[in-house]
Amino acid sequence: MLEKLKISFKQNLKGDPVIWILVLLLSFISILVVYSATGTLAYKYMKNPENYLINHTLLLFLGLGAMWLTHNVNFKYFSRISRILLLLSVPLLMYTFLKGATLNEASRWIIIPIINKSFQPSDLASLALITSLASMLSKRQQNIQDFKSALIPMLIWCGVICGLIALTNLSSALLLFLTCMLIMFIGRVPVKYLAMLVLVGALAGVTALQLGVRKGTAISRWENFKESLSDPTQLGFQAFNSRIAIANGKIFGKGPGQSIQRNMLPHPYSDFVFAIIIEEYGMLGGIVVVGLYLILLYRGMRAVYQSEQPFGGLLSAGLSFAIVFQALVNMGVVVGLGPVTGLPLPLVSMGGTSILFTGIALGMIQSITRADSYGGQSVQSKVTTKTATA
Amino acid sequence: MNIKKSIVLRVRIAFIILSIFALAVIFKIGHIQFVQGEYWDKVSNDYAYKFLDVKATRGSIYSDNGSLLATSLPFYKVAMDPTIPSAKLLNKQNLDSLSYQLSNFFKDKSPSRYKQMIQSAREEGDKYIVFGGRTVNYLEKRKIMNWPIFRKGRMKGGLIFEKKEERFRPFNNLGYRTIGYINEEEKGVVGLEYSFNNFLKGRDGKAWYQKISGGKLRPVYDESDIKTEDGLDIQTSIDINLQDVTETALHKALDYHQAEYGTAVVMEVATGEIKAISNLGRTSSGKYFEKYNYAIGRQGVTEPGSTFKLATMMALLEETNISLNDSIETGNGTYKFYNSTVRDHHAGGYGMLSIQDAFEKSSNIAMAKLVDQHFGVDPGKFLSYIDDLKMSGPIGFQLYGEGVPKIVRPSDTEWSGITLPWMSYGYGLEMTPMHTLMLYNAVANNGKMIKPILVKSVRKAEKELERYDTEVLNNQICSEPTLRKLKIMLEGVVERGTANNIKNSYYKIAGKTGTAQILKNGRYTKTYVTSFVGYFPASKPKYSAIILIKDPKGHYQYGASVAAPVFKEIADNIYSRDIELHQSISEKYRAEKGVFPVIRAGKKDELMLICNELGISNHTQTEQSWVKTAVSGNSVKWKELEMKGKALPDLIGLTLRDAIYLLEQQGWKVRYSGLGRVVSQSVPSGTQVEKGKTIHLNLG
Repeated sequence: MLEKLKISFKQNLKGDPVIWILVLLLSFISILVVYSATGTLAYKYMKNPENYLINHTLLLFLGLGAMWLTHNVNFKYFSRISRILLLLSVPLLMYTFLKGATLNEASRWIIIPIINKSFQPSDLASLALITSLASMLSKRQQNIQDFKSALIPMLIWCGVICGLIALTNLSSALLLFLTCMLIMFIGRVPVKYLAMLVLVGALAGVTALQLGVRKGTAISRWENFKESLSDPTQLGFQAFNSRIAIANGKIFGKGPGQSIQRNMLPHPYSDFVFAIIIEEYGMLGGIVVVGLYLILLYRGMRAVYQSEQPFGGLLSAGLSFAIVFQALVNMGVVVGLGPVTGLPLPLVSMGGTSILFTGIALGMIQSITRADSYGGQSVQSKVTTKTATA
Repeated sequence: MNIKKSIVLRVRIAFIILSIFALAVIFKIGHIQFVQGEYWDKVSNDYAYKFLDVKATRGSIYSDNGSLLATSLPFYKVAMDPTIPSAKLLNKQNLDSLSYQLSNFFKDKSPSRYKQMIQSAREEGDKYIVFGGRTVNYLEKRKIMNWPIFRKGRMKGGLIFEKKEERFRPFNNLGYRTIGYINEEEKGVVGLEYSFNNFLKGRDGKAWYQKISGGKLRPVYDESDIKTEDGLDIQTSIDINLQDVTETALHKALDYHQAEYGTAVVMEVATGEIKAISNLGRTSSGKYFEKYNYAIGRQGVTEPGSTFKLATMMALLEETNISLNDSIETGNGTYKFYNSTVRDHHAGGYGMLSIQDAFEKSSNIAMAKLVDQHFGVDPGKFLSYIDDLKMSGPIGFQLYGEGVPKIVRPSDTEWSGITLPWMSYGYGLEMTPMHTLMLYNAVANNGKMIKPILVKSVRKAEKELERYDTEVLNNQICSEPTLRKLKIMLEGVVERGTANNIKNSYYKIAGKTGTAQILKNGRYTKTYVTSFVGYFPASKPKYSAIILIKDPKGHYQYGASVAAPVFKEIADNIYSRDIELHQSISEKYRAEKGVFPVIRAGKKDELMLICNELGISNHTQTEQSWVKTAVSGNSVKWKELEMKGKALPDLIGLTLRDAIYLLEQQGWKVRYSGLGRVVSQSVPSGTQVEKGKTIHLNLG
């Protein structure tokens, strides 16, 4: 029976089994903590707390489903699909900004008609940009030192997409920008060019701040952070309460469902979910979660050693870095290493499209590792034979 | 180095960078838990946050023309976070000036005391100090927002206003019981406030508050606060002038007769809209006030007495072929059914009467005999007429706590041989005054019975969310000929019958008096419920009304002498003011044709005085003393004439005297040409103009 199950897993869940296990573990933690943290939300809106649990669990399954579907796709197609999506995301981001601007608020979502779900185009754009970047880098490995032909297109794409995202969501843009730098660094872009990229980024950032709607928030969050370094009473409401949660947790935590700060902390189920993890599961729980992400990163970037083609390796590493980097930034904010950002903890925080896109990204990583396990060349030949017969 | 090796090396470097970051996160957790641990333990006790309810603003209740009957006015607690203003903003000059303003406004502390209070709080890091011992109103709040430092607002100036709502009724106790009132939890307990509480109350929100020294709470203003949803407004059909007239007339009569209680309802015939509803009960000190809604409430259910004869007459005319000229013997004023006696009020009896006379003179014997004769065999038939007239069940009125009629049916054990004859003149069955009014209104409305309506719509600002339309209960209560006969007799009651004391030559009233003995402990006493119900003008009915006064003391004990005069007073008043009711006056008597004086703009209290004196309906939307006019339905609406500092106001429509006053007061000079009102100004309104500049006005 067990043997049968094992075989069926092997047949259906291809790719790196460690990554599958990591994802399932993180999802499990997510369900536990989100259930505990939505208690106040349920109370606030007079809803049954199980509503949020069921909703969130369904979304996690949706994310896992997306991961499974994606991992069955041959990763060679990602390059082309991503280019189309990248082009598509430009008008989408513009539309989101303009629609938000007319309502005079930071609207990062657009509602998809018919299914009536809100969707954050910046998630799509990030994924498309990282994939395209990996593809462009892999194609230009031979002449990577050539500034004009190799680097200019990449720099332009990074500048445009990050700049557009920054109009409505500065922290996401900054994170994406840093991730892109990291990927380019891995993709052998010389450091002096990367320094230049920082300049481009700064320029795009300032322009976006002036044009966009997030300037005030960004400045006040930054000032708050600066002041709090010398005087903890100056901490903002969220940061202040998350510190108390962390301090309350001690080494072993208060136990599942025992958080007190979830009642005080706004959004304990999304941006500040890590504070609740520490409060309930202690510093140990925190170390475990950080550890899980690091292992995920390690497994994700292994493709770089294994694959013969640079695209697969760069893409897998790039996506792993993007996910784990965001996780670390989120956790860094919660513990007070940076100003409040509003970025969710991938796979753990409650929230719709974020989980879905993380699932797709993980599926892409698995698709690459799956191909690698056959050996890069064999996939290549398999594809060619297929086209020949077809 | 080959490409792959280089990439592998770089990806490892990147991994190490992120690992260091991860270690930093864990290190920071340790730092918070162990190095700062004690500090956070202490702070979490001291700076507890609370997620508290925030009251939504309760909706307002409006009269038919938009006058406020009840509203919630905001009052504000003035507080400050003195740690917020920068040192530059809080310089000596600004602080002195602010302290002076505070002292001068609240008059509870000297300026130096205020200055000290702000400074020491700032030094101690006290984030919340409250000024003055009282709340301020909205106008005062606006003034305070202009003070030095405070004018920078909450984020920079540290000014905090905390809102509190108080319920305010501009017309005090007018229609108090019908409009209703709220309890300490801001829940309506009676009247419209109660019945429409769900609309009025809105949805309370929640907000974070921080506990600070002294057990006080300071709002945090976090984005996770749940916003309040203000309550909806209710538009009633109450006409505030009519309500005033009705209440005054009723009050006067109650005082005179020292009655137990009285109720008066005025209804618009065609729509069923309640235009005035007054309920006055006597208190132990002998004063009258709106104690209970006798017109519709459970305690208001009484035996109608003679006013019910209209229903009886209708049933007789419909069921039989008797004619108004048929005669009936009422004898010497007493008549026996079994061993019980029916009496007429007239000493010695009326003798032989026509049926029309019997109704107009309100003969009990005639009614009892006729009904016994025609319905005695099948009393159920008589009751089915009452059912058709909707007088045996609740009306389904818009107020909660409606009284339910009591009626005995042939199948009940209480039914006896005398039940039917007694019922014919309004005994042995009970209903609310509203039921009776509904019947008379139906006759006035050519047989179409409609449901009385008090609330016309529920609205949010100008938007109508729910609309209550006139509801027809019975499209035709009786045949045309019957209706005509009923109308003739109702007019006859006033022309030559029991209520001829209210007959007048200007317009005709149709109606019926009622005098019912009060049943106490199973016995009819020598105390009465007197009533008059009818409509006017009889030729083309516009309003119907019922007046009911219980237990008048002294000489007068009849509906004709107690209740009917109140009806007349109300009707007279309406008639004198409602031009529509008057017969058209021939051309030659009309006022001179030509230019009528118009109101465009001016000082509000003066304009209101003029309008009220001339009976021009007007209502206000602004607290400002200078106003412009707008037309809203048949009435004038006062709008704010904006005056902001150096910005030139819109002067169009003002008289020269007012315009000069306004401009020179601000230090501008005025030149003008022409005669009449301001038609144009040399500088457009809203322009910033320096003092001493000349403004040229064209009059016309």
